[in-house]
Amino acid sequence: MIRRYLNVWNIILLSAFVVLFLFVLYPMFYIFQASFLTPETSQFSLESYQKILSKPFYLRCLRNSLWVSALAMIFSLAVGIPFGFFTARFHLPGKSILKTLATLPLILPTFIGAEAWILLLGRKGLLTQLFHQIGLSTPTIYGWPGIVLVFTLQFFPYVFMMVSASINSIDRSLEESARNLGASSWRVFRTVTLPLVTPAIFGGALIVFYLSIENFGVPTLIGEDYKVLAVQAYNEFISEMGGNPSMAGALSMVLVSITLTITILQKYWVERRSYAMSSLRPPEIRRLKPLPTFLIWSFCAFFVFLSLFPFLVVIVSSVTKTQGPVMYFGQFSLKNLANAFQVAPRPIFNSFFLATVTTLIGMVFGLAVSYLVVRRRGPATYLLDLLVLFPLIIAGTVLGIALAVTYNKGRIVLTGTWMILVLAYFIRKVPFSIKTTSSILQQIDVSMEEASINLGVPPLRSFLKVIVPLMLPGIAAGGIIMWVTTLAELSSTIVLYYGPWTTMTVQIFQYIGSGDFGPASAYGTVLIIAVLIPLFILNKILGKDLSTTL
Amino acid sequence: MQVLIKEITKSYGSLKAIDRVSLSIEGGEFFTLLGPSGCGKTTLLRVIAGFAVPDGGEVFFEKERIDPIPPHKRETGMVFQNYALFPQMSVFDNVAYGLRARKMGKEEIQSRVSEVLMNVQLENLAHRYPNQLSGGQQQRVALARALVIRPKVLLMDEPLSNLDARLRVSMREEIRRIQKRLGITTVYVTHDQEEAMAISDRIAIFNAGQVQQIGTPSEIYFQPKSRFVAEFTGISNLLNITVSGYDRERSLIEGEINGEPLRMKGAETSPGNDLLILLRPEWIKIARSETDTPINLFRGKVVSSSFTGSMVRYQIEAFRNHLLTIEVQDPHEDELKKAGDPMLFWFKADRPVILMQS
Repeated sequence: MIRRYLNVWNIILLSAFVVLFLFVLYPMFYIFQASFLTPETSQFSLESYQKILSKPFYLRCLRNSLWVSALAMIFSLAVGIPFGFFTARFHLPGKSILKTLATLPLILPTFIGAEAWILLLGRKGLLTQLFHQIGLSTPTIYGWPGIVLVFTLQFFPYVFMMVSASINSIDRSLEESARNLGASSWRVFRTVTLPLVTPAIFGGALIVFYLSIENFGVPTLIGEDYKVLAVQAYNEFISEMGGNPSMAGALSMVLVSITLTITILQKYWVERRSYAMSSLRPPEIRRLKPLPTFLIWSFCAFFVFLSLFPFLVVIVSSVTKTQGPVMYFGQFSLKNLANAFQVAPRPIFNSFFLATVTTLIGMVFGLAVSYLVVRRRGPATYLLDLLVLFPLIIAGTVLGIALAVTYNKGRIVLTGTWMILVLAYFIRKVPFSIKTTSSILQQIDVSMEEASINLGVPPLRSFLKVIVPLMLPGIAAGGIIMWVTTLAELSSTIVLYYGPWTTMTVQIFQYIGSGDFGPASAYGTVLIIAVLIPLFILNKILGKDLSTTL
Repeated sequence: MQVLIKEITKSYGSLKAIDRVSLSIEGGEFFTLLGPSGCGKTTLLRVIAGFAVPDGGEVFFEKERIDPIPPHKRETGMVFQNYALFPQMSVFDNVAYGLRARKMGKEEIQSRVSEVLMNVQLENLAHRYPNQLSGGQQQRVALARALVIRPKVLLMDEPLSNLDARLRVSMREEIRRIQKRLGITTVYVTHDQEEAMAISDRIAIFNAGQVQQIGTPSEIYFQPKSRFVAEFTGISNLLNITVSGYDRERSLIEGEINGEPLRMKGAETSPGNDLLILLRPEWIKIARSETDTPINLFRGKVVSSSFTGSMVRYQIEAFRNHLLTIEVQDPHEDELKKAGDPMLFWFKADRPVILMQS
């Protein structure tokens, strides 16, 4: 009887649960508990929560978080919905390049976007000075407007991708039959197309809201005195170091409760209203007259340009002569890049090392979990499926704080090692790997495995011999997404890194903070290129784009 | 290789997929599990292959109990509904897969694969990949891959359901031919009664997890034991008869249907009993005049007709409110009737099959 349950897959199942318990559930519970203790006497109290609700400062943080996220969401919809409709429905010159470029901001680090806008519109910014010279003043980039600008430009592609995928999944016959029944084209749009796309719009909106509220880098860099929850939780954590992380814990819990609400809305409201259609004939792509085509094209191209321009600015800055915060645009210099590679290459090595280790572990784990979730359906694997997705609702700073305070003393001490970075990255990014591998596994019929077993090859070997080769594109795509997003990860790193394990993201962040835009741009450029090359591979070799993997 | 199934039970949650099924399949027999979807036939096949673990019961190959043996050691050859060809392997590699798993020598693999590909007429396509093959060719590769390991039992799960109608007919004949030549015990699952009749030595009819009837195709067609079997194995006219008397001398049941008298062969039964009888459409004949036949002559009205060339099928309203289906083979052009025409029809006394008595 015991032998029956003691097979490879149950051992994997059990170890997956142990990993998730130790490094997700337990740390989260630990800070949850800590938030209810007084820092001084470690007794139960609601002091921290009372502070949040009574002190204007904390209330302002909460209000600020909600305000920038809501605005970013509204603007992302305003750009993303038309963008999605236009690219899905109309012939536009260079459309496929336009669409590919439009997805890039999703993978480029948001804090580098923030840096670029400071370079352009900050106090010493290029455009600020240009305008100043001709006697014009520019609006300030600091505070909420800058945060919303960066969020909108980097997150609208989510709305665009979801809307466009949703439109393309509507079978042509639906709209045709509505027309056939006598509806005008406006009526068809209002009564058939729009209701079918609405869940995608809501889904995109929630993602943008979530990403905005959990973001750490942008509000820190560009927000200055405009404090949001994710930033304040980190500040409290830093000041409470060694003490009881009560306030940091309480703020984290507020953040988690918001992200949890969003996820529940997404799960039960949006998904229930989504209609899965296996579209045989996607809607007709219409060719408009030259003028409307030009206008529509300009709209799309403008926002693609605006969202990618910052990264161009950073690349240009990296080869520009600098002196502290002063940039001499137009004067070429390789000093900053040379410095990054020769004098201080350690962050580059660290980032690549950590990302690679995380990715390798994540691919193996992702493969095993995908198999369990897709092929061995049962209550245990259902729970596993929920558990691995749980980290998605935890903001990076929150997970970082949770891991740091849980494992800085006691039996397992991980705080202050590189392993805790890998752990945090693994927990945060493994859902990407699981998602891509399990979606490809779902497309492979079970009978393929059974055929192999039937021909005499034992189950595990059958899986490795027949199924894994078929899954390779999905596994590789998941790995690439894990690798590039780990490279770009700032929020959990900033909490967990220590001296020798400074990563590129931390280094950039610190240089921007101290106004050293030259060195910041040099590392930024390395990061941008390191992210774009694998993405290019993903696109060209595996024939996948971000919309199918994120 | 004889296959013995004893009291197999398998549930999925509260659904009983197989409910205490026992069967004995003889060596070399072509045995078909026939039934509507969800009746448990595929589950039983998967129990034999080892992919479904039964909750109770036993499976034997000859004297050897095989249900505790893991599927990869059972030596069954399975042909899947969707063929399950490995897309990354050529036809040759697909067929050689099971032989390589058995660590067979290179030359022997070469000769065994060539032989089996010859058998299914694919010897020229060995280097192709599955996506370069037609549906029928993929089907042959799947069959070759299952046969090449010389399995104890060949298991086929609706193997023809993805082919078009014409190909289905020629493939089933080919499968039957190969099966007989190799003399391999075969368990075949289908929901298509015509296919089952054409291909099988014996058929087990499944419904709701239970075997309704086992028999040769002709037994099942001519002597169905239940209403379900009758209806599943072909178009069936089912009529309720009230017994009015019994003629012992000629073993004739005298009865009536909505007041119209009829006579039919059958075991003795007492007046007042109700019978449910089956009349296949082709058992009913059209009469030219009222003097054509001494018994069982009835009058009806054509409701609709469908003409398919070699045959014409009429829907007839008769016995007040009954609808009957009649099939006439080799119809003459000038005898075709149209909706609204009156029609005289009759059937022989030994034709009706009694399905139920109460």
